[in-house]
Amino acid sequence: MRVLYEKGKAHIIASSIILAILVAGLIVIFSVLSIDDRDKSIKAIVGGLMNGGVLALITVGMVVVYKATRIFNMAHGGMLLFLTYLTWWLIADQGVPYPLVLFLVAIAGVVLGWVLDRALFRGMIGHGELSSFLITMILGFSVLHYITKLIFEGKDRVMPDIIGWILKDIFQVEGGTVHVIGTYNLPWAELGSFIVATLMFLIFVTYFRFTKSGLAMRCVSEDNIISQSLGIKVKRIYTIAWIIGCLSAVTGGILLASVVGTVYSSRGGMDGLAIMMALPIVVLGGLESIAGAYVAALIIGLTVSLCGFYVDSYIRGFADVVPWVLLMVVMIIRPSGLFGVKGIKRI
Amino acid sequence: MRPGGLFSTKYASELAIVKTKTQWFFLAVALVFSIAIIPLIADDYWLSVLARIGITLIVVLGLHILSGLGGLISLGQGGFVLVGAYIVAILTHHWGLNGWLCLPICAIGSGIAGIIFGLPSVRLKMFYLALATLAAHQIIYWCFTYEGSQSVVGPSHGLSLAEHPLTLGSIDFSSEQNMYILVAIMVAIGTFMAVNIQRSNTGRKFIAIRDNELAAEVSGIWVFRNKLLAFFISCAFAGVAGWLWAYAQMHVSPRDYTIDDGIFFMGMILIGGWGSTTGVFLGVFFLEFLDILMSDHISPWLEGMVSDRWGSQLRTVLGPVVGGLGIILFMKYMPKGLVGVWERFKQFYRLHPYSFWGG
Repeated sequence: MRVLYEKGKAHIIASSIILAILVAGLIVIFSVLSIDDRDKSIKAIVGGLMNGGVLALITVGMVVVYKATRIFNMAHGGMLLFLTYLTWWLIADQGVPYPLVLFLVAIAGVVLGWVLDRALFRGMIGHGELSSFLITMILGFSVLHYITKLIFEGKDRVMPDIIGWILKDIFQVEGGTVHVIGTYNLPWAELGSFIVATLMFLIFVTYFRFTKSGLAMRCVSEDNIISQSLGIKVKRIYTIAWIIGCLSAVTGGILLASVVGTVYSSRGGMDGLAIMMALPIVVLGGLESIAGAYVAALIIGLTVSLCGFYVDSYIRGFADVVPWVLLMVVMIIRPSGLFGVKGIKRI
Repeated sequence: MRPGGLFSTKYASELAIVKTKTQWFFLAVALVFSIAIIPLIADDYWLSVLARIGITLIVVLGLHILSGLGGLISLGQGGFVLVGAYIVAILTHHWGLNGWLCLPICAIGSGIAGIIFGLPSVRLKMFYLALATLAAHQIIYWCFTYEGSQSVVGPSHGLSLAEHPLTLGSIDFSSEQNMYILVAIMVAIGTFMAVNIQRSNTGRKFIAIRDNELAAEVSGIWVFRNKLLAFFISCAFAGVAGWLWAYAQMHVSPRDYTIDDGIFFMGMILIGGWGSTTGVFLGVFFLEFLDILMSDHISPWLEGMVSDRWGSQLRTVLGPVVGGLGIILFMKYMPKGLVGVWERFKQFYRLHPYSFWGG
């Protein structure tokens, strides 16, 4: 941990210098560009960052689960899809008022996390990372995905505008967009999602940094056997980690659906999209680092959005594959990620 | 473990794949039954089902060399099957090349694709490598659906091979019967090759790398080269399977093999049991028959019982869900897979009155 902190300091200084240079460069470029080009590129950048915030929230669930239990959770997408469809069903099909819906899906997330942990993953403690990885893979891509399809008929649905309701009822804000610059208006759905995602992210980080059980979770992530002998209830920590994972999945799923506008399980589905975007983020940020997940999410969100804007017109459909290419590139160049911990091998 | 009273008296008998007369007998019966008798008694539906299972067997035999022996997890095997299928489709469609000539080209082309996407395996292990192969599948899939490459790979709904059917003299392989026989022969050859790779120098190197990479490197095995070799061999198997698939369907499309298939290939190895050719057969037959049972037999029966709202989805949903749950339960409660059950059973009857000796 100590080593990480020292490195972290250097990283923070270096990255803030790079960021300052980038911002200065962008301002110079923007003052040169024509109005249309400027608005277009600002749209790409801001939109990418907004998406990045939502992706960070989705990713943090995977990172927390990996940190605590050493299980790389590929079922995150499946959980996200199931819980988002549940939200849609409660609001649009059952007509439950939305504050109650948020409460109910949070409970559903807690229950799902608890059930998955008790029924499946508690028995896998000590079976090796690989078997757990394959179990989550199959759980997410075939079991949860197709069960969701079966229960909710597998049709694409229009997501109810939860962000809009929150804005209208609590903040009395009308109108769907925020004026940024020139002709570019940022939709409230994106900005609201970004704000909510960042808030949720900060809540998770606070839990990790400043609570006793967060401290216990960090301890378990270092070594679960020693933690057990020091009196930390490792199994309970595992359950909490899975519950946090599910909560991140449900909030991330709702926000993702409100940005995209639909809940869908066809064409790879929302779970495929979430996993596709989350994988390069997790790997780039480093599997163990929560802050890394946020930084990497912004980077990946920005890259994908810029590729969508500028490369897609030359190579059609490139934005669909660019996260995977990024994943390959990151893994070849730096498998431990930006903020990850490098393992030591011994014979 | 060997049956009681059986001892090797020569080195040759120690090295033999088939050791006892009973094994020879069962092997001969199985070969004659699957190659000669099944085509006579089975109808077209079952022949096409069995041909599909045979093609899956070839893919999973290749994956067995990569994962079961080499310990390198690949979830993108479906992508390499697609490469093989597309190579034969493109070569025959655009240049009218002879189908048999395409067979080695498919194997080698797929193998080279495997080497390219296997390059990250130098630095990556375990699920990192699995993620890299997942990315490989997506990138391959994208290449076959990309608009700019459609002049070569055809429209995104696929390419037809109907103009150039596979023939050998007067035998036409477009009929289900002949295709099944071809697949069965290829499965026999593939199994023989896989078993031989497993017990040769190469296979032992793969096993050494799987068990401990550093120790293998220290004892003089060139790890990088052997990892790439494992990728090449397994993807060559996948390429041959793709060749067969293209001719079995007479049509290739990027949607033939999805990520789900890649995951299920891995699941077949897990259900069968790591590092055993018998396990490959058991796993493939178990999962494929489960899938067919669910999608073709149980779901029509269930559709009449549940409401329309759910019934329309059952056919596509039941197979993956039950198969996936099967894999999960196997991994949780029987980590050694079906082959472990089979070994315990053999031990039981060989030691029969004193079965407790086997533990």
